[in-house]
Amino acid sequence: MITVGIDLGTQTVKAVVLKDGAVVSRGKAFSGFDPAKSAQQAVDEALKEAKFSLSDVNHVTATGSGMEMAPNANSTISMMGADAQAGVFLFPKARTIIDVGAEEARAVKCDDNGIMMDFVVNERCAAGAGAFIEAMARALEVKLEDMGPLSLKAERASPINASCVIFGESDVVTLIHRQESKPEIARAIFDAMADRISSMVHRLGVNPDVVLVGGVAKDVGFVASLKRKLSIDVLIPEYPEYAGALGAALVAVRRAKKV
Amino acid sequence: MIMQLLGEVLKLMVLAGFAVAGILVILIWKKGLATKVTYLRFIIQIVTMVAVFYLFTYPVYQLIVLIVILVMPLFLGRFFCGWLCPFGLYMDAITLIRKALKVRYRLLPDKLNRALHNLRYVLLLIFLIITPVILSILFPIPSLDFAPIMALLFAGPFEPFRVLLGPLIPLIVPWVGPLEIGGVYFSYPYVQEVILYSNVVFSEIFVNVTALIFVALTFVGSFFVRRVWCRFCPTGSSLAVLNRFKGFKWAPALHIDKDEEKCTKCGICKRVCPVQVTEVYEQKGGKIDTSMCMLCMRCVEMCPYEGCLKVNMGGKTVFKSRNWLEPSTVE
Amino acid sequence: MKSKSEERRYVPEISQKEVEELRSTIKAASQKIIAENIERMKKTAENRPEEMKYFDDIANFFGTREKEIRAAKEKGRKVIGYMCLFAPTELILAADAIPIRVNSGWYDTAKLGDRVVPVEVCPVIRSTIGAKMIGLSPYLELSDALISVLTCDGMTKLGEILSDYKPVWAMTIPRVKDSAQSLRLWNDEIKAMKSQIEALTGNKIDRKKLKSAIELTQKATKAFRRLQELRKGAPVIMGRDAMLVNQTYMWDDIKRWTEKTEALCEELEKRAQNKMWACPPDTPRVMVTGTPMIWPDNWKLPTLVEEGTPQGVLVADELCSSERLLYDPVGVDEWNMSDMFNAIAERYLMASTCPCFTSKDGNEDRINWLLTKIKDWNIQGVIYYVHRGCMLYAMEYTRVKKVLDDIHVPVYYLDTEYTREDVGQMKTRVEAFLEMLTARIDI
Repeated sequence: MITVGIDLGTQTVKAVVLKDGAVVSRGKAFSGFDPAKSAQQAVDEALKEAKFSLSDVNHVTATGSGMEMAPNANSTISMMGADAQAGVFLFPKARTIIDVGAEEARAVKCDDNGIMMDFVVNERCAAGAGAFIEAMARALEVKLEDMGPLSLKAERASPINASCVIFGESDVVTLIHRQESKPEIARAIFDAMADRISSMVHRLGVNPDVVLVGGVAKDVGFVASLKRKLSIDVLIPEYPEYAGALGAALVAVRRAKKV
Repeated sequence: MIMQLLGEVLKLMVLAGFAVAGILVILIWKKGLATKVTYLRFIIQIVTMVAVFYLFTYPVYQLIVLIVILVMPLFLGRFFCGWLCPFGLYMDAITLIRKALKVRYRLLPDKLNRALHNLRYVLLLIFLIITPVILSILFPIPSLDFAPIMALLFAGPFEPFRVLLGPLIPLIVPWVGPLEIGGVYFSYPYVQEVILYSNVVFSEIFVNVTALIFVALTFVGSFFVRRVWCRFCPTGSSLAVLNRFKGFKWAPALHIDKDEEKCTKCGICKRVCPVQVTEVYEQKGGKIDTSMCMLCMRCVEMCPYEGCLKVNMGGKTVFKSRNWLEPSTVE
Repeated sequence: MKSKSEERRYVPEISQKEVEELRSTIKAASQKIIAENIERMKKTAENRPEEMKYFDDIANFFGTREKEIRAAKEKGRKVIGYMCLFAPTELILAADAIPIRVNSGWYDTAKLGDRVVPVEVCPVIRSTIGAKMIGLSPYLELSDALISVLTCDGMTKLGEILSDYKPVWAMTIPRVKDSAQSLRLWNDEIKAMKSQIEALTGNKIDRKKLKSAIELTQKATKAFRRLQELRKGAPVIMGRDAMLVNQTYMWDDIKRWTEKTEALCEELEKRAQNKMWACPPDTPRVMVTGTPMIWPDNWKLPTLVEEGTPQGVLVADELCSSERLLYDPVGVDEWNMSDMFNAIAERYLMASTCPCFTSKDGNEDRINWLLTKIKDWNIQGVIYYVHRGCMLYAMEYTRVKKVLDDIHVPVYYLDTEYTREDVGQMKTRVEAFLEMLTARIDI
């Protein structure tokens, strides 16, 4: 049984090829102006690495905000449903999955079969998503990938009041003028984000084990802050940004069996 | 002798026949009508009054009748009050006249209503205990033996227990009643007792006036306040007494049940109740626990939510509220 | 130099030119949306019931009904508008006036309302203000007076703002429902309203007229309930269609509405017999509860549910723009003036599940309503819909969630605004919720 899962995110498209319950390959492309084309690119890349062709594939399921535009998709699944499946696949004891993407964050509660039972999405605000880090990195004049390690150097966080991206930027400028150190500002930014995410998760109820996926899971600074705010250990898979595509591929297995 | 017996049996059969016919007519003709229970009740009340008349023609021990009435509430709640009592029939008939005249009824304040409910016991006390005491002072008994005391209670000049049968007195009585027109004797609930008692206080002339005043008061009272006597009638006190004892919580077997979730607290049941019972509205659910309810079932008739109020007889539902919503054609 | 009476106390100056421009633009847009919504409803249901054609016609704000009301006004009849469900319709009908609900469902006018009140205010209120500023709503324009029941803060101030344009009669409604003094107050308000209505229309409300008005609404309730009962089994009518039928009651001629609804019910009963379902019987059955959804623009959520992947069907709701309109009848015991008035007052106050009330048990009435609906209509999931700015509904959420968690019915909190911008986001959430319901059914 060979299935493909495609996650058409706002910034990047990810694809995963699954064969007989194991991940064979992955593919990625920037969404850009033509998500359908990028999706095709990502799928082709993954299939090439797996040495399969599209005709070998039993079922393709798409997820993500652009899932309607996926080419050659047999079905779609919500991001929450995909996250739940991926979480339990990667960590069988996972019951709460937090997905922090570029522009939206969500949390899903699921049962031991990876079927979602409840979900919560962050309300129309980018201060709980990757875009916040990007904006703050610009304000601090630090490279995006350096933000995490930088924040880990700090022992305390500078006071940031704003939880809004727009106000956050001016807040950061004020802190720099006051000569707060960059590590402490960076840590404050991650703390603010983790605060938003954790209150969102609390609305759902924290059920261990807790898994963190999405591109932002790769950022050590954010992960440290989140673990502190939730006061619980958080499991992170090896390729966290591919969780959505993986979940979609798992759903594709189910759907293929039904037909 | 046998012919007489046959004659009596025939009379009873004719009465029963009319009753059944009347009931069937209502059930079939008014099948869909929201207020069919009210019509049914009216027929049964009339039939009962005629039956009571026949009952009193027999030399039956009235004590037995009283015991039956006092024990009935254990099983049927105050069904007697709502469906069988002749005094209730008069009060309902007066209410019909009021409705036809489009005059509005008056409500008693809740506190007063509850106080009157407790007044029953006071009246019961007066008739069953205080009066015999007064009697034994006025007519001293030779010895404190069982027999003379029983004689005083049951066959003496005032026959205290008889007062509890007061509401049963039919309009036409098979004995010498206070009013005679063309060889037929008429009476009215409690009037004979009123005459007896007022004879002690007043002279002959005023006795009849007192009786008339009593009748007028009950007429006027029940014109403006629905079922006014029922709120403090001593005959209706047995259920309330019983309900105070833990062992009798299951009583009565015939009662109203409420489904909490279906209730929208619209208040219709409270408004239409002739004796202003508020427990049906106030209680959350389950068996409605009240000794005021006469089981006239008006609340169940008028509740517009399917299955919210049910009349249950030992578990089985006899009648339940339904989605009526047809314009009422009663008045 | 403007005279004192012409000065508006709240609404800022707006040039006649702008008013006309906005009105024609928004009116054209609205007509387009109305047509589009109906098209979409037709597409979703397989063989939409024939009788829906009548309701589609009434749903057009700028069509038949407007003409009818104008003609009636020329003959001397008065039009009394109301914002909240507590306005005593029966009294209005008994005085031979036309009752009509004037809450606004237009998104575009909400932006106009922002010129008068802050953005945080309930969008329905802002939209109504905006609609009045440009004279968009024919029903609002044709009203001779408005009844404003002071249920929430927004409604209280809306009445004041609108009184710049029309006579507004405020009715105080007690926030504690079940006390004797509350009922006394409300009874007095109803009696006072009777005098107001009689003064405006010049008609005396007598026993016979009131009786026929009550009988009229009782018949309407009967038809209304019949329609909701038909949604209990497998879906013979899509939720949006039923909601539209419910909502047209607010604007239509009641007698005719009743006849047409009964005809629709006849058609639906035949369909049920022939098993002609509007959508597959195993479609997830959803109930919506919360702030009102007014046609035509605020049809966002029902559309997402019924056109989503997977598809859901709305089989019941707890909305004052839909099933709360007519579910409770006026229960008259004796047809004299006193009891009829009591019955009317109690029907409006006591059966209501609006969260503006509280009582010994909080808003227990609403909880019971939800539980009964869930059981009898076989609801699989509940969407708790709140307009941003509504404190009352938002604050009751946690209680409802607890109760529904206890009976294992999923409930999803969805808050939104009078805007088209968040359709994408809402779609994701609604579809995830429907997916969740389907998954539960699968298991």
